[in-house]
Amino acid sequence: MNYRQFVLSQSIIFMASSMVFPFYVLLLRNVGDSYSQFGWAYGLFALTSALSYPVIGKWADQSGDRTLLLFYSLAMAFILLLFPLVTNVWQVYVLQIVMGVLGAVQKNTEKAVLARRADKKQVGADMGRYHFWTSIAAAAAIIITGYLVDFLTIATIFYIASLLYAWSGIVIWKKKKAFS
Amino acid sequence: MKAGLFICVYAALFAASFYIYNQYYASSTVEDAGHLLPARVKEIEQADGEETLKELVKQANQIGSYLTIAGMQHSQGGQTYYPGAVMIDMKPFNKIIDFQPEKKEITVQSGATWDDIQQHINPYGLAVKVMQSQNIFTIGGSLSVNVHGRDIRHESLIDTVQSFRLLKPDGTVIRVSRTENADLFPYVIGGYGLFGIILDVTLSLTDNELYEKKTKELDYREYSRYFQEEVKENRDFKMHLARISVAPSSFLREMYVTDYTTAKDQQLLKDYETLKKERIVALPKLFLGFSRYSGWGKDIFWDIQKQYMLEDNGAYESRNNVMRSETDFMTYESSTKTEVLQEYFVPVDEFVGYIDDLRLVLQKENDFNLLNITIRYVEKSDQAVLSYAKEDMFALVLLINQGKSKEGVKKSERVIRKMIDVTLKHRGSYYLPYYAFPSKEQLKTAYPRIDEFFRKKQQVDPDDRFTNHFYEEYSK
Repeated sequence: MNYRQFVLSQSIIFMASSMVFPFYVLLLRNVGDSYSQFGWAYGLFALTSALSYPVIGKWADQSGDRTLLLFYSLAMAFILLLFPLVTNVWQVYVLQIVMGVLGAVQKNTEKAVLARRADKKQVGADMGRYHFWTSIAAAAAIIITGYLVDFLTIATIFYIASLLYAWSGIVIWKKKKAFS
Repeated sequence: MKAGLFICVYAALFAASFYIYNQYYASSTVEDAGHLLPARVKEIEQADGEETLKELVKQANQIGSYLTIAGMQHSQGGQTYYPGAVMIDMKPFNKIIDFQPEKKEITVQSGATWDDIQQHINPYGLAVKVMQSQNIFTIGGSLSVNVHGRDIRHESLIDTVQSFRLLKPDGTVIRVSRTENADLFPYVIGGYGLFGIILDVTLSLTDNELYEKKTKELDYREYSRYFQEEVKENRDFKMHLARISVAPSSFLREMYVTDYTTAKDQQLLKDYETLKKERIVALPKLFLGFSRYSGWGKDIFWDIQKQYMLEDNGAYESRNNVMRSETDFMTYESSTKTEVLQEYFVPVDEFVGYIDDLRLVLQKENDFNLLNITIRYVEKSDQAVLSYAKEDMFALVLLINQGKSKEGVKKSERVIRKMIDVTLKHRGSYYLPYYAFPSKEQLKTAYPRIDEFFRKKQQVDPDDRFTNHFYEEYSK
């Protein structure tokens, strides 16, 4: 995995996640019944993330960033296939817990990669460039998805996002010469 | 190698998820303005032309599927859909077919809204005779529930219909009027979409006029006399509406009435002709919001609303503008609660006793959240088989905030059945486009010809090609 692969895959991931999450709320509204259930759904997500960070941090150093990022992308691709089939609040809770763990994997590893690569003198500029590309991808995705939902169903959005996650995985998977 | 394996597994799971989704989840869930009956329908078909409609009926007959007809879906008891049935969305079927200003006649496709008609006829100085107080509804839907409104001189909608064309359950198209296929006329109007699809309708119109708005406060005991002596007898009074307080401090006692009288100087009409648009509604919405949550909020809302109306006394408004009042401030979104309507008709001379009895019932129901009661008048009109105006009646529309859960519905049902009992005791009746709270016995008392109605339905549509929740609930 070289740096370009890394940025590309992360951009795709941001695209996919920003497609899903604003509209994920719509799904929660259809399924959920009250604000407290909303609170629980997001609370569980944050809580499982919190609990998994220390463990994931150790894994990242042992098994390598690439493996973890790849694991994240592929796992998300699979999880998203379940979203259109959700009909009950408990299913949302389960998904939130799994995604809490996966979210922690992604966040932690993303930062680890950036930190390992950072040239101490221009860390700021590097971070700026990285966030520029990933955020552009996210913004584009949100706007386009707004239109897509009008024409397609929310379920379609989940399928498209799943495909994007799979693609981001494949980007990382391809063997290229090591980190430059 | 591993990547290839992943792609295979992923593709298989993707296909499985997609298949399951389409098989079990994709069929459309619809609900109406009551939000109490979400249902999975077979499909939603757009009515984009007469041929499409004929084809839909033909296909349904071939494969034995069921049809329901939907306009704006403000009926609240599933009158526009049924689980597993095809729902025909009539909104795209909205052309103005013929307009003859000199004869004061217009023919429109049934998916057209009152707003479409108003936009079209206002430049010619014409106006609709009878419609709801709001203009967002389709003509077909309005006919099917035989609406009434603020106008006090033109009876119900049925009295303004000259003729219409009907696509029958057997796929044939006929014209229905008081002379042609006349037997169907009083069934299809107020027929809740059970006799086929109304294709287009010819309505008679009247002149757009300038009205002066007159609002005053009243005690509820004076209301019947006031209406009979000062409003009904005076031909200058064209439209009328009233409100009775639901605020705790003046509950079912204080009222205000608003009358629209012909303005002396009709030359001024041209200054008031422009059709008004929805205004910014944040303020009324906020106060209505308060009134949902507390008696204190209801007191404030009542005082402010009354004050606002009294200050508007003497204002001029064109007939067309009176018939397009605001709705946006009432939109209400909540995942656990909803707002439902009830409408009760009670003879003019029974009003005081009726209100006293209603107050007795409601004072015991502390958590029944009644937000508003608007009162209008309907003249006796017994043309429709399911006519609600068996004599000259006051029509009380109640807005109720309730839970969507089973318990919420049960709670409302209990109170609403009591209110209907009181209404029936006073020779009254209730309006049918709402949720199926009333019992079958109550339906029979309010609508003595209901069996006759269902028998005719069987005769015209023996296979029940057209159905809906109301029909399934009460006819079987």
